[in-house]
Amino acid sequence: MLHDDLWTANRDLAHACLAHPFVRGLADGSLPRAAFACYVAQDAFFLQAFFRAYALAAAKCKRAEEAECFHRFMGGVLDELKVHKSYSAGWGIDLSRVEPLAATRAYTDFLLRTAWHADAGQTAAAMAPCMRLYAFLGCELAKTPTPDNPYDEWITNYSSAEFDALAGEVESLLDRVATDGPGVRDAYRYAMRCELDFFSAPLEVET
Amino acid sequence: MAMRTLEESALVTGAGELWREGTTAKFLEGIGDGTLPPEAFERWLAQDYLFARGLTSFQAVMAAKAPRDAHGPLIGGLAAMHAEMSWFESHLADRGIDLQADAHPVYRRYVDFLIASAYSAPFEVLCAIVYGVEVSYLAAWSALEAAGPYAEFIERWSSEPFTEYVRSLLELCNRHPHRDQQAAFNQVLRHERDFWRMTWEG
Repeated sequence: MLHDDLWTANRDLAHACLAHPFVRGLADGSLPRAAFACYVAQDAFFLQAFFRAYALAAAKCKRAEEAECFHRFMGGVLDELKVHKSYSAGWGIDLSRVEPLAATRAYTDFLLRTAWHADAGQTAAAMAPCMRLYAFLGCELAKTPTPDNPYDEWITNYSSAEFDALAGEVESLLDRVATDGPGVRDAYRYAMRCELDFFSAPLEVET
Repeated sequence: MAMRTLEESALVTGAGELWREGTTAKFLEGIGDGTLPPEAFERWLAQDYLFARGLTSFQAVMAAKAPRDAHGPLIGGLAAMHAEMSWFESHLADRGIDLQADAHPVYRRYVDFLIASAYSAPFEVLCAIVYGVEVSYLAAWSALEAAGPYAEFIERWSSEPFTEYVRSLLELCNRHPHRDQQAAFNQVLRHERDFWRMTWEG
């Protein structure tokens, strides 16, 4: 399947994310609180673009059932944003006034450029990595729990069967709407690179 | 004189230090005094060609959204981009540079910003973006004396017709104001700054 090929071809970047100091800090609870707060705010900004990209992809679908899938994923993004709102209350983050960092802006510009300018297949290829990568990171981190980890909720959320199923649905749609080719390969890999940069950015703000 | 009028425009003065950062670079100094390493020149030629292609997409979408009074400069600008790309292609071919050059992440960020904005930002904001792209380029090259091995390039982007075109874009900004113009103009300058750094550092 196309989604498997793409994931396998980009496992190097998935493992680079898993080994990233930000993700290690989530795993053992040592991530500075301010870095996590920064990340949640940036992710909330990112998810607004993610939501719009799904809507644009839905508008480009020729089959109603494919558009319905994108519509359902939009609901998933809204659920994720609710989780962010609950984090933000507890972590003292104001989500209403988020200035995007360069890495966030790069990612949202890429997503929106693809969603507006390319077809639904490339858009799905640009969006699937975020879902599968987070499911992967959540499951990997859940294997070695740290007692009293302040980031347990994050790990539980992304290691859940529900999130894995949602990632699987996005991949299944990708298989249906995308045709393997340089544009799809490039969109998938660039999205993975954006994910890696996204983890670096909050740590760079800190130092 | 013409350049000074442009540099006194509210968008340029409102950008503060970003204006200098987006219009001066080690790369340009090397072009000016002829000491630029050939690999830096070739890197710039390939990435700037890719950028021109992205900018053309931006301008085409912008032209599609434009009111009648903006058709002249925008459609003229699109025709000029076609000539520009042909000119780049001949220079790339002369140097044996692969036209399928890998897109540098800095180039990608700039073009993603342009095309995402073309579709999603109001026309008035697009005026500030295209003005920003062109006025910063004009300023960067106009600061150099048209001499040495790169004289052809310096002359091309400090010429009177190019200056006139940039002036027509400033008039568009003035006729179609918007409160978000300055933020978009500043974002262009950040991308310009990063682009010039990339051409020098790789």
